[in-house]
Amino acid sequence: MLERSAFGALALAAALALSVIDAKAFDDTSYPDWSGSWLAIGGATRGSFDSSKPKGLAQQAPLKPEFQKILEASIADIAAGGQGNDPGYHCGSHGMPRVMLALEPIFFVILPETTYIIFERLSQVRRIFTDGRAWPAQLPGASVGYSIGQWIDTDGDGRYDTLEVETRGINGTRVYDSNGAPLHPDNSTVVRERISLDQANPGVLHNEITTIDDALTRPWTVTRSYRRLPAVWDEYVCTAGNEHLAIGHDDYLLSADGLLMPVKKGQKPPDLRYFDAPQP
Amino acid sequence: MPYHRATGALALVAVLVFLFSGARAFDESRFPNWKGQWVALGGTGNAAWDTTLPPGGERALLTPEYQAVFAANIKAEAAGGPPLDPTSRCIPAGMPRLMMAVLPMEIAITPSITYFMFPAFDSLRHIYTDGRSFPAQIEPSFIGTSIGQWQDTDGDGRFDTLRIETRAIRGPHTYDASGIPFHKDGEAVVTEKVYADKTDPNTLHDEITTRDHALMRPWTVTRSYRRDAGQARPEWLETVCRQDASRVLIGDQNYKVSPEGLLMPAIKGQKRPDLRYFK
Repeated sequence: MLERSAFGALALAAALALSVIDAKAFDDTSYPDWSGSWLAIGGATRGSFDSSKPKGLAQQAPLKPEFQKILEASIADIAAGGQGNDPGYHCGSHGMPRVMLALEPIFFVILPETTYIIFERLSQVRRIFTDGRAWPAQLPGASVGYSIGQWIDTDGDGRYDTLEVETRGINGTRVYDSNGAPLHPDNSTVVRERISLDQANPGVLHNEITTIDDALTRPWTVTRSYRRLPAVWDEYVCTAGNEHLAIGHDDYLLSADGLLMPVKKGQKPPDLRYFDAPQP
Repeated sequence: MPYHRATGALALVAVLVFLFSGARAFDESRFPNWKGQWVALGGTGNAAWDTTLPPGGERALLTPEYQAVFAANIKAEAAGGPPLDPTSRCIPAGMPRLMMAVLPMEIAITPSITYFMFPAFDSLRHIYTDGRSFPAQIEPSFIGTSIGQWQDTDGDGRFDTLRIETRAIRGPHTYDASGIPFHKDGEAVVTEKVYADKTDPNTLHDEITTRDHALMRPWTVTRSYRRDAGQARPEWLETVCRQDASRVLIGDQNYKVSPEGLLMPAIKGQKRPDLRYFK
């Protein structure tokens, strides 16, 4: 009974705490105006993780030899008509850091305790906790990881202008971009970001991304830039109308008329041994 | 890159919101405190949309035409056709089923948009509260287009109720896992009244009324959600919908996949898939 009373008192205290949290007004003029939607800049190379270099091997990803081989095999498979090492075409999450390529629009929702990054692709939400918390002992694990951020007023004008973020607890099969340069499967990746508006152009946002990963020979830093667009939300549902189909370990395509098609030239049809023999 | 994109119009209003949104302070204290993690009461993924009805009672709400459609869908599934529940193929639950909140939801309030966030992919609602009207043409989407209005029902100077109307909801979508269908015309309109319980701020109610041409009359259900007040920093899970690797839909036929990865008939005598595109 005593325990129940104690629990009740704790619950009451917690309820009061929740009530107090919202008693303060949130002065959003203390934060930068990152409203609108943001889309990757970079011309023909915007789809590459390092948008300053051409795609594929020209990215010069600092991969360890065994992971470089995985990338080379992925590029060869893509050249043969396959999807390479890219898990995204089965509608999976791109995960961190790839989601920050922003090849589809991303949105920032800034609230005092959390900055949300909302991705049009899959309607994913990334929470960057800015409430001063420490890393929990056990990270829940997610493809976009667990992010803690800190707002900084770098020019001392009384308004935050830069968000520094560290992300840990990233899990799942991930690659840097559609060419398939892999991250290590040990799920120990750490990603650090520094996000701020361009000094001269508030319509451009920069994100300096440093990835520390056991598949790399050294930390890999790239700067992604995004252009501000009107805040128009377009639902992007990958699974509705996805023409890619996996049967066992083999990939196929579905034609517009709902028939199975090969994904690669010369691909064998699926084995139909479990079906009755066709009628003559 | 395979995807479906619904163009969500509203561009002019969005541009105006974009231009002005950074210019004013957001007085958070005018809005209710719905922070935290809300867990649905009395329901799981297989729960009925309306738990007040006896099993099968929802059929009586359908027009005779859609009772027949529902029966035909059940028969088609049994004959190897598409599954009754689109979410089994990783199609988003869509509105209004999304509000069953199979996994905990978060509500983030800003002056112009209130977001309902769900751990499942493709499940993020934008409720526009910036005074916009529905445009004449809206591209349908699974979550629909939602316009809301905050109300201060007790006159204490603080909003306490969010009224929402959602239109342009695309299919395939069903009320729940049983497959109760919506009319194929895509003209369903969902209205909601979201408010905290008068005696318990950690309980949230959503009165959801669906108007659809497959129904004999509007169908109102109240879904409720509970917030754990002691959980100041809740854990947010991410779910990745993976299609059941043991099932595959090719055209209008639902096949099995054997443990060794070979295609199998799902029902006795099921026809072989057409392989005309293979040489």
